[in-house]
Amino acid sequence: MRQKKQKRQKRQKDNRSLRLYRRKTAAFVFFLLLVLISLLELIPVERDFSEKENRSLQTRPKLTLEAAADGTYMEQYEAFRSDQFLGRNLWGSLKNRMDLLIGKRESNGVFKGKDQYLLEEIASADQEKTESDLAAIEEFHARYEKIPVYLALVPNAANVLADKLPRFAVTEDQTEIFSSISRKIGEGITWVDLSRPLGAHSKEEIYYRTDSHWTTLGAYYASQQLVETMGLDTEKTPKWEKYVVTNIFTGDLSLKSGYQSGYQESIYIYTAQKEKEMPGIVVDYGDDKTSTLYDRSKLKERDAYELFMGGSHGMVDIRTTADTTDRLLLVKDSYANCLIPFLVPYYREIIVVDPEYYEGNLDGIMEEKKISSVLFLYNGNTFVQDDKLNGVLQSGKAEQISE
Amino acid sequence: MITGLFDSVVFLFTFLPVVLFLYYLMPGGLKNGLLLLASLLFYAWGEPAGVFLMAGMILFNYAWGIHMAGILKNRRRARSGLIICVIVNLGILGFFLYGRTVIGAWNTVFPVQIPFQGYALPMGMSFYTLQMLSYVIDVYRGEGKVQKNPADLALYVSMFPKMPGGPVVRYSEMEKQLKARQMSLGKIGEGAMFFIRGLFKKVIFADNMGLLHAEVMGMEAGQVSVLCAWLGCGAFALMIYYNLSGYTDMAIGLGKMTGFEFPGNFDYPFLAGSTTEFWYKWHMSLGAWFREYVYHPLGGGDVEESKQIRNILLIWLLTGLFHGLSAGYVIWGLYCGLLMVAEKLFLWRMLDRLPGVLGHIYSIIMVMIGWVFFFHSEPSQAFAYLGRMFGAGAYALADDRGMYLLVTNLALLIVMAAGLHPFVHKAYESVMDRGGRGKALVNGMIYGVMFILCVAYIVT
Repeated sequence: MRQKKQKRQKRQKDNRSLRLYRRKTAAFVFFLLLVLISLLELIPVERDFSEKENRSLQTRPKLTLEAAADGTYMEQYEAFRSDQFLGRNLWGSLKNRMDLLIGKRESNGVFKGKDQYLLEEIASADQEKTESDLAAIEEFHARYEKIPVYLALVPNAANVLADKLPRFAVTEDQTEIFSSISRKIGEGITWVDLSRPLGAHSKEEIYYRTDSHWTTLGAYYASQQLVETMGLDTEKTPKWEKYVVTNIFTGDLSLKSGYQSGYQESIYIYTAQKEKEMPGIVVDYGDDKTSTLYDRSKLKERDAYELFMGGSHGMVDIRTTADTTDRLLLVKDSYANCLIPFLVPYYREIIVVDPEYYEGNLDGIMEEKKISSVLFLYNGNTFVQDDKLNGVLQSGKAEQISE
Repeated sequence: MITGLFDSVVFLFTFLPVVLFLYYLMPGGLKNGLLLLASLLFYAWGEPAGVFLMAGMILFNYAWGIHMAGILKNRRRARSGLIICVIVNLGILGFFLYGRTVIGAWNTVFPVQIPFQGYALPMGMSFYTLQMLSYVIDVYRGEGKVQKNPADLALYVSMFPKMPGGPVVRYSEMEKQLKARQMSLGKIGEGAMFFIRGLFKKVIFADNMGLLHAEVMGMEAGQVSVLCAWLGCGAFALMIYYNLSGYTDMAIGLGKMTGFEFPGNFDYPFLAGSTTEFWYKWHMSLGAWFREYVYHPLGGGDVEESKQIRNILLIWLLTGLFHGLSAGYVIWGLYCGLLMVAEKLFLWRMLDRLPGVLGHIYSIIMVMIGWVFFFHSEPSQAFAYLGRMFGAGAYALADDRGMYLLVTNLALLIVMAAGLHPFVHKAYESVMDRGGRGKALVNGMIYGVMFILCVAYIVT
């Protein structure tokens, strides 16, 4: 009996001292981390912009009496400290991993789908804005009645590859958005349905896994549809041949979401099998002229998709030696960049305008360049979110009068 | 709901290390002064203007305490003195708590406009007012000695560890600790573990539940399935629990690191068998305050049944109004009060005959129903939401959206549900206690990883 009691007392004493030891260790760990991180934080490194989050970072705010009195200084200072936290991206990827562990399958508007697909969330359409854009296109068309105008919207991966979305994930219904747009466009404008050809090839590699764009293969299938709908001369269609230009492409969705930062995929480009099937070209970027639609130096940069057309420019003028007088005005976003090569054989000249980067309006181009058809080619998300298209479509003459 | 403050880079990696370093360095006599200075700085950082209001109220109560101590023998004068003091304190609190709502309502109803909007409630004001009231009442009752040193009283009221989320500590509990308290490395380590646990509850658990709750609240009314409605309500229940109990743990931890002992605030309320028991285990220091200074003076449970019922309802109405002036809070308070009365009269006996599990389920569901009035301050919206929880006007029983929210939060929900039961923590402690010194290292690593994870969520 007594022995037992002694034993118990001894065990309790052991436990107590062990518990004390454990507490001391915990104190040591906590203060080690606290002091270590606090000291590292004293290193003055300041960045203005986060490419990963695509936003400007808060820089050190100025202390004024007013800002301190109403608390704005404190808010800015807090934001400054977490924006400029040492190794912020590293901490971000740690959070990302933890979120995955919790079960989250979404980060910064990007789904982590099946088969290593990253899929951008589908943007919802603002009725009013979309209608005003469509009305602007119609007015534009009314000014050039004889020139055919086409509108082609490229569905997003989350729509075409909906089966790759995480289990149970629900997105906006892009099919519905598109069909509502196609119903609303004015009479003279031709809707080019790209959902059908892309849907038919959805088992193939038509979207990048880590990038928000479609692959060149996706653009190729879309170009076939364009050739058909726009009634282009199929005799000019060369026999395309693909070859790979890089195998180590990691796209913008990976950067945006933090998922699959190590995943590498290929970018292909398509050329004519026989050289003489492809017309010669001169590409005029405004400040620079080349004879190619690709800028291979971009392959070494962060966004290798800029290989196509060297990224986005306000206006690019492509002159070809094709045996035709047709001239196309292509109003587009970055999705079109990898599709342009497929249109080259059919036109004497293609004027490429990206309203996002273009200051001016289309009327000048229409008159000066003797445009024979106009194609609006946008990705679904960009089209419903864009806020520049309306501006370039406004009548240039009206503007001059008002000035 | 409390946001920010402890889970910020500035607090964790500038304020805390500097304050603790100086605190440990300081000789005993100066520790309180340093802590007061740090607390005022902490408060001014969050409420630059409010710090003057708080200082003014502290000085008022300090002076009034001394004045009352002088007239304690004359009970009538002391009584009227106390009443004036309580009215002034509650008047100022009421002005900040209700001013905006009242003025707003006045301006919409009456043609004569008040050209003034009122102010938002300064951080922690409800809690520090209650604590000051407990000081003057304790002095009046002779339960606490009058504080001659204004700095000590100011420290009791403004102490930064308990500023954002309590616990509401009674003055009589703090009196001795302000004079002398024990500090040891073991206690500091215990405090560090408390703090990290609390931070983890707030940053990982509560904030993630906040996202889930916001997701459901953001859905269009016509698209909410029964599953979504329950997820939204459950997320709110878990969020508010882990937020408040996380802040309490952080307060206890910071207290221990500076030598103070604060009482616990939550005693696993989700294990309660009735709502009466649930609220008894919920925010216990606030409940204790209301019992001590409102319920008991009204006669408490020693009066006839009809008065007891009146007292319960009154306490709950006050508790509702303590959160702000809105129909939702009033309904919530009355709902909780009526349930408690019903349990007292007959429900308790019925629950007793049922298996224990049913009691837990009953109390959790009843409490969740109450929360709906908390997050929907507009009663019509709250009733519509409740309807959807029980199938009326819901879009479906379960849909992909609800399943997606469930699946993408499942692991977290399971861990959080496990944390509602003391078993996990107890088992962890007993395993750790039995092991050798290696276990201490493992324990240190676990807490280190928890802290690092919190930092990852705080900076991004």
